[in-house]
Order: sequence, then structure tokens, then C-alpha cells
Amino acid sequence: MPAKTITVNLKVWRQPAKDQPGRMVDYVAKDISTDMSFLEMLDVVNEDLIRKGEDAIAFDSDCREGICGACGCVINGIPHGPDAGATTCQLHMRRFTDGQTITVEPWRAKSFPVLKDLTVDRSAFDRIIASGGYISAGIGGAQDANSILIPRSIAEEAMDSAACIGCGACVAACKNAAAHLFTGAKITHLALLPQGAPERALRVVRMVGQMEAEGFGACSNEGECEAVCPKLIPISNIAKLVREYTRAWWRGTT
Amino acid sequence: MSSITTKLIIGATGVLLFAYLILHVIGNALIFFGPDLFNSYAHMLLSNPLVVPIEIGLVVVFLIHLVKAITMTFQNQAARPAKYAKKVAAGGTSQKSLASSTMILSGLALLIFIPIHVKMFKYGPEYPYGASDVRDLYRLEVENFTSPLVVGLYAMVMVVVGMHLWHGVASSFQSLGISGPRFTPLIRKVGKVSAIGIAGGFIVIAVWVFLFGARS
Amino acid sequence: MTLDGKIPGGPISEKWERRKFENKLVNPANRRKYEIIIVGTGLAGSSAAAALGEQGYRVKLFCILDSPRRAHSISAQGGINAAKNYRNDGDSIYRLFYDTVKGGDYRAREANVYRLAQLSVDIIDQCVATGVPFAREYGGLLDNRSFGGAQLSRTFYARGQTGQQLLLGAYQSMLRQVDAGNVTLFPRREMLDLVVVDGQARGIVTRNLITGDLERHEGQAVLLCTGGYGPVYYLSTNAINSNVTAAWRAHKRGALFANPCFTQIHPTCIPVSGDHQSKLTLMSESLRNDGRVWVPRKKEDTRPPEQIPEEERDYYLERRYPSFGNLVPRDVASRAAKERADEGFGVGETGLSVYLDFKEAIDRLGVETIRARYDNLFEMYKHITAEDPYKVPMRIYPAIHYTMGGLWVDYNLQSTIPGLFVLGEANFSDHGANRLGASALMQGLADGYFIASYTVANYLAGASLSKVSTDHGAFKEAAATAQARIDQVLRVKGTRTVRQFHRDLGHIMWDYVGMARTESGLNAAIQKIRALRDDFWKDVAVSGEQSNLNPMLDYAGRVADYMEFAELLALDALHRNESCGGHFREEYQTPDGEARRDDDHYSYVGAWEFTGVGTQPVLHKEALEFQEVRPSQRSYK
Repeated sequence: MPAKTITVNLKVWRQPAKDQPGRMVDYVAKDISTDMSFLEMLDVVNEDLIRKGEDAIAFDSDCREGICGACGCVINGIPHGPDAGATTCQLHMRRFTDGQTITVEPWRAKSFPVLKDLTVDRSAFDRIIASGGYISAGIGGAQDANSILIPRSIAEEAMDSAACIGCGACVAACKNAAAHLFTGAKITHLALLPQGAPERALRVVRMVGQMEAEGFGACSNEGECEAVCPKLIPISNIAKLVREYTRAWWRGTT
Repeated sequence: MSSITTKLIIGATGVLLFAYLILHVIGNALIFFGPDLFNSYAHMLLSNPLVVPIEIGLVVVFLIHLVKAITMTFQNQAARPAKYAKKVAAGGTSQKSLASSTMILSGLALLIFIPIHVKMFKYGPEYPYGASDVRDLYRLEVENFTSPLVVGLYAMVMVVVGMHLWHGVASSFQSLGISGPRFTPLIRKVGKVSAIGIAGGFIVIAVWVFLFGARS
Repeated sequence: MTLDGKIPGGPISEKWERRKFENKLVNPANRRKYEIIIVGTGLAGSSAAAALGEQGYRVKLFCILDSPRRAHSISAQGGINAAKNYRNDGDSIYRLFYDTVKGGDYRAREANVYRLAQLSVDIIDQCVATGVPFAREYGGLLDNRSFGGAQLSRTFYARGQTGQQLLLGAYQSMLRQVDAGNVTLFPRREMLDLVVVDGQARGIVTRNLITGDLERHEGQAVLLCTGGYGPVYYLSTNAINSNVTAAWRAHKRGALFANPCFTQIHPTCIPVSGDHQSKLTLMSESLRNDGRVWVPRKKEDTRPPEQIPEEERDYYLERRYPSFGNLVPRDVASRAAKERADEGFGVGETGLSVYLDFKEAIDRLGVETIRARYDNLFEMYKHITAEDPYKVPMRIYPAIHYTMGGLWVDYNLQSTIPGLFVLGEANFSDHGANRLGASALMQGLADGYFIASYTVANYLAGASLSKVSTDHGAFKEAAATAQARIDQVLRVKGTRTVRQFHRDLGHIMWDYVGMARTESGLNAAIQKIRALRDDFWKDVAVSGEQSNLNPMLDYAGRVADYMEFAELLALDALHRNESCGGHFREEYQTPDGEARRDDDHYSYVGAWEFTGVGTQPVLHKEALEFQEVRPSQRSYK
């Protein structure tokens, strides 16, 4: 499909720093090639702002191929924009029409404070993983890899959950800003595997405890998180999280 | 208490309330078979010594469901202090609906309705059925549903009940961690069908009583 | 300065054991007294932090992004090699070693490569133990595949996300040490200088990217795990934040930079669509197993591909390399594509691409077979280009993918500055002039999990380290230098954006220092780089301020360093009068266009010493000795 150029009207959240008031600011992005990615369009807008001596719009991005999880903003009311199973960097301008108005906002959650413009602090996710989201295997001296047999279906299922990129879109989409899908995906990945089984109960209790301490909300089972997840991780991971949590309670770990 | 425990409690009480509603609508439907059957069924329930503990249990379950849901709503709102300028449903596999977005509102509406409802029926006038000590609840129901206004308001509330169940049934099972590639699509369908069945059942009964009840 | 690789004696298979035994140890009770600074959280950095933290050292781990999980190791798709020989198809540590030395075109250190092959086995065990969900067979055993033209199946993989899963495994192991209180994380920090006290690396100066503040961190050893320098070409498959700054500033403090001209080009990337392009996306090379590469026979033929009849198509790889055809090595396929495009035969709107056509394979094997093999890649291509490769030929073009060069290190991964260790892609050590597929991940984890913990301990046990606080003059001087550079960038207030300068630099590098280089081209490139650098400091526009989150200011600092580093890369390419691996000099080729190595004169590691910006650096040579693998010339005719 040959590229054409379009003009789009942006309404972008601008906030100078953490704990400072912000507002939506209008920008016109002219001569945007439909081959551009959404972030490349923002790059072009920023180039114009810099040339005018204005502060560029701050946003996180790194790999720009949908695997690092750095990028993400709410585009026209949907985290990562209208394409299912894709990150913001994988969204292309051909999905928009000439003259369209696009609102661009940061992830909004108490646990993801805005640092500037579209940049938020997602370190809460690291703290959740650091609260037991690992297998305590000492380095060196591991047994031969093939001495642990894992059925292919289990390995595939674990991989489905392990595919999480930690972008935070699940939290952004959830009406309660809940982190259950993120936490559930890691719990599911690790609970499915025979490795790390001794830590299974303590892990879920600690990770859920950290998730709560960070101030994320509860799960209302709407599945908005699943719908916006760039890796299409389903909310069955949240049910698994609940089962693991209940199992830990049953065993007296909570 | 973690939000997962909270949701386990809300889910478990929700399933119980759902089960109660199924029994309730089936019991009410006996009205189609005339006052004899309906009143004797009611008598069987009322004369059972377990009825008081069960009623107390039901109130407790309801209150737990309610209190947990209200406190959780405040916590959920605290989790997102700043709102989006624009936010729309993501579509696709999302289960978000008007019903799911208004669970707390539909629940609170029922909080207003239920005392009135209990007052109108359980604590309404005690008519004897014939010469026996059987209470004539059939007559009470006919009298309560003589006003089109009452029937209309009742029907509206039942739509609210249906909405609560539309999301609530499947959601309760998900909250309990009961999920699976076959079960989850099934319970979503069951939830929606029973929402229509229960709400529709109550409405049909009320309308039938309004139209034809006095003739029996 | 003589470069001592510190390679242990004895037979090659016993060198690492011998070194481990020779190493001095640090008493477990004393380890908490040592603070180790690790910069970068990719495979090398995260695994090193996990290993050293577990041993009880206090580790400070610095990450340029908001989370250590996003480091660019995450983008590696294909897999990780290990000499497990689970397939009984003739693999062994020796064969993996042999293949890697040969693949590196005999410009790597044999002892390092052998150790890498040895450790490859432990890496798989370690990763499985930490829960990496590698692909399995139905019986529950690990699955293997053949990768990048290897003649045996030694590649372990987790779908097309092997790098992601390995990184998350290392990240989780590292966070376990955060949990234990042994590792402290410093996210959104950029290293701006290395602090050297009494000739030893004793700390770093970082910039807090949220507040803009400069911070000083003291430690007894510094480990740089900061990746490669691909974005010196502007467009590459590297991430937006990948940069050479940490390595370059360490180089300015005295660490030698080795073999910068060894850069790897990947032939099957999605082509550039326009000037706005910010990065390139790689597609697995496996596509060339079934796709046929062609361009029109007529120059600047703008007809759509389906209207170009068979006889007017030039299947140039099959024509030039009848026996290997479309499966010639990466560098050969890449050069041939660029040559066709430069001659005016390129296709697409920009003319900078060639067709990779699956029609013949679809006709022969059926669309379902092709779908089973490549559907995820076809979908990715379609998503980016809006063209359906099941119907129209794909368009591909080469792009910079990996950089083999890096800071010079000895066998212990220590640079020429005592106490400064360099791990992973940031060092030069294991891949020589070219890297085999599925071996970058292997090196990152070998360095981090299994090597650094031994060699850093040996250094700490043997070094005499005076007490140094962050008030030391060297810290003040380094912080002042970093601050001066920030001030300098902000003071220019010019008219051209950092991105424009970066793009211009990239054009110079790609055109003259890319996959085919000439003496005159390299000389021209050096002049152009210098002129561009002068322009940069006169006309760069950076808005915003230092005391805030300002990605444009961060970017400006990195491009400023690329402006200096690019010259070294070109100089290195100019001095190496041979063609080998990823370095192809047009003057040095066989009559049929093959790379011609010059083992008599260039069988060495070229390590450069910084003498000032724009002044001739000093070349130090570490001779390479091949006792196990006899260098031979390759042919793909």
C-alpha cells in the first residue's frame, strides 16, 4: 500500500514534573506519512517543538518492535491504541484518517505516578517481582537441563504467561488500576513449572502482599486488561493467581 | 485483607445469592399453578424450623457482599486518583459492559429495594388462607401488584437485578478462581442466560399477577 | 603498553579450570566489605549482579531505562547455542569452539572462545533451573533447532522470544538478590564518567535522568555491561537508548577500544520507508531457506513485482553463488543487496530494498506449509509495511545488527584499567570479526553468570585498594567534566535537532563505513565526521533544561559521543588493510568478490588508546595465535 501523508490534531497530556499540575495541550502534526509508527509521529512533533525552542514531549520507548515494554500511552481512550495485540510503537499512522483528533495520555494509576508528560514510574512492577517472582536457584551447579522433564503443553502454557513485557497497559486499562494480570502472569508462569515448587505458596503470598502495598486496585473481572495486552495474556492467569493464593491459604502460608 | 481475599468473599457470597435467586424465582413461578399450590409451598417453607437461621444467614451473606463491595469500591477509586480525559472500552475479548461498569450502582439500588420488598411481602398484612393457619401469600401478592405503578417500578428494579447478574454470575466464578478453556465461555453464557431468566421470570410473574392473578 | 591477554597456560580444554584454581578467593565474611558497581542490566549485567550478589558482595546496579527488564538483550529472537549434543548429531564443546573461531574469521582469542563453548552447557542448565520456558518436545525434553546455517541442531529457543526469556530469567535472579539486600537498583541513571584513582577504577559519575542531578558512586570494581554501538549508524536493529557513552567515556579515561570496525550487518531486515524512520526491525534469517532474492533486470523498474515477467528478473544470489544460492552468509547476502541497490536495481519507493519472493515456495510446498514455518514473521512484516507477503514479494534490506568490537579485555574480562571489567557485547572478546547466530546471548550469560564472579574476586583479593570517598578529587574532576559537557550542549542553542545530526552521521557511516569500505571512502568519511562534529557543537538545538526529565538532553550527550567514536571506527577500518568477517574492504577481495584476509599482517587485535578528540589515537596490537584452529579462506561459490 503506497504511503500518503495526513494531518492529525493531537491533544497531548503535558505535565512538567511529578506532583505538578498538567493539562491537555493541542498540537497539529502535519505531513505525517501513513508509514510512520505512532512514536515516529511523536518524534516529528518533537522535532518541531525543539526547533521552536519548546520542551519536547517526554515519553519512554526503546526497542520499538514491541518486546521491551518501555512505550505506552493511552491513545483515544485505549492503552496502546486501537490495534489488538500490539504496543504503541507497533501502531502505525495508517490506522488514522486525515484530520482526525487523537488524544494521548499517560498511564494513570496511583502506583504509576507521572514523572513528566507521558512518562510514568512503573518501578512498582519491579518491586512485585522482587518479592518472590523468581526461582531460588543458586548460580552454578544446576542439574542437567534435561533431567527435569516438562510436558510440552505445560512448557507452552508457561511460555504464554512468561511472554508478559511489563508495559503496564493492563493497569492503565483497568477501571480499578489493578495489577492482577501482571502479577498473575508471573505467578502462572512459575507455578506451572516443577522448578521452584517449594517456594510456590510463599511466592504468591509475598507478591500479592507487595501488589497491595503498592496501591493497585482489585480485579473486577471485566477483562479490559486482556483486551489491551500486547501479548494477549488472558485473565485465566488471574484465576490461576486466585487459585494459587487460595492454595497458599489452605496450607497455612497466608 | 488482600483484594484477592475480598474478591473471594464477594464471589462466594455472590454465588450464594445467585443460588438463592434461582430458588426464589422458581418458587414464585408456582403462582401460575394457583393459590393452593403456591400457599402450601410457602407454608412448607415458613413452617420449617430452619427458615429463621437460613434467613439470618441470607441477611448476613447479603450484608457481607454489600459491605465488602462498598469498601472495595473506595479502595479501587483510590487506586486511580486522576481520571483520563478520554477513556473508552477496549472491545475485543473484553467483557466490559454497561452492567459491569455499574455493579456498585446496581447493587446499591437493590439495597434500597430489598427492605421495601421485604416489608411489602414478608412483613405485609397476614391474611389467613381459608380456615387453616396457612398464610395467604397469594392474595398478598395479588394486592401488592394491583397498581400499574408498583408493577412498573418492580419491573425496572428487576432489570437492575438482571444487569447485576449479567456480569456478576460469571464474575463470581472468576473471583473464586474457577476458570478454564471450556468452563469460562460456558459460565459467561450461563450467567447471561440466567440473568435474563431470573429478571424476566420475576417480571413475567408480576405482570401475570397484575393481569390475571385476581381471576384465579 | 604491551597488551597481555593473561591467557592461562596448559591445554586449551584446561585453561579455564586452571585459571579458576589460580584465582585468589575472597573470604565469604569479607565480601560484604566490597562494593561493586555494575552498569547495564542486559544479560551480562543482570547475570553478573545475580552472581556477585549471591556470593555476598554489595552490588550497585545501574540501569538507563525505567526497569532493568527492558535492556536490549530482550529483542534477541532466534535462540542460544550450547554444546549439549542432545541430538547426538556430532556436536561437542570443541566443535562449537571451532565453529565460533571460524565464524569469527580467525580474529578472536582461542582461549576465550573455548571457555565460551565450555560454559554454554552450564548456561542452559542454569536457565532451566531458574524457570526459563524453553521449547520442549512431547516427551518433555528440551527441543533444539539448527540456526544460521549451522550443520547441527544446537540452538535452544523459547518461541521467537529467546532473548526476552533469558533476560527475564537473569532479571528475576538479580531481583532475588535485591530482595536479599545484596543488590541495590538504580534505574533511570546514565553513566557519564568513570572515576580512576591511583590507576584503578574506583567509581562512576551518573546522571539521574529524572531529576537531572549528577551523582557520584564509589566502589572497588566497576563492571561495564553496556552493550554495543550499533546506533552510530543511526538506523540499526538496536534499541533507541542503546549507546556507546559509558564505553566511550571509559575509553577516554584510558581503557583501550578494540576492533571497532568489526560490525555485523543482518541481511533480512524490513526496509526503510522514509526519513522519519527511527529504527529497523529484523526478521529471522530462516526466511532465506524458502524465499528467493531478486531484483528487476532493468534499472529503476517501477512496475509492481507481479508484472515483471520471469525472464526480466535477476535472481542475483543464485546467479553469483550457484551452490549456496540464497543461503550465502549474512555478509555476502548483505553486500550483494547493497551493490544491486547502489547500481539502481533496488525496488520499493525508496529504491533501497530487494525482493524476497515466496511464490515459488508456496507453489511447491503449499501455502499451509509456508504459513506453519513463517506465519509470525509474515504477520510482523504485514503489520509494519501493510503488504501481504503471501501475495506480494517481501522487500528486505540489510541493517546493522551487532557490533563485535568493544573495550579491550584480557582473559579475565578486565580492561586496561585495573578494576574496570567489561562484559557482553560491550567488550571485544569472543566473536572476532563476525558473530555466529545464537551466540550473543551465550556470551552475555557466560560473562555474567560464570566468569566475572571468579575474576572480579581474584582482582579484589589481590589489589591494594586505598580508602576513597566520593569527595576525592578524582570524583570532583569527573563530575565537573560531565557537567561541563552538559553545559556545553545546552549552551549551543542552535537550529538543528540532535536527531538531524544523528541521521547525518548515520548516512556517513552507512555510505562509507558500512558493509563495503574503501580507503578513499574512509578518508572522506573521517573528514565528513569531523566537519559534522564541528557543526554539532555550533548548531545543535536542545530544548528544556538539565534539572528535569529531558530525554532530548540525554540523547544529545549520546550523539555527541558517537560523533567522536565514529571517527575511531572509521580509522580502525582504514588501518585494517584486509577483509575479514564483518569488515569488507573493496581493495582486498579475491577475483570473484570474496573477502581476502591478510593473516600475515593483521592477525591481531587492534586496540586503540585515546589521545584526544580529533587527534590520532595510538594503536596497540595483541597478536592472535591459533594453536587449535588453522585459519582457512572460505568460499561459497
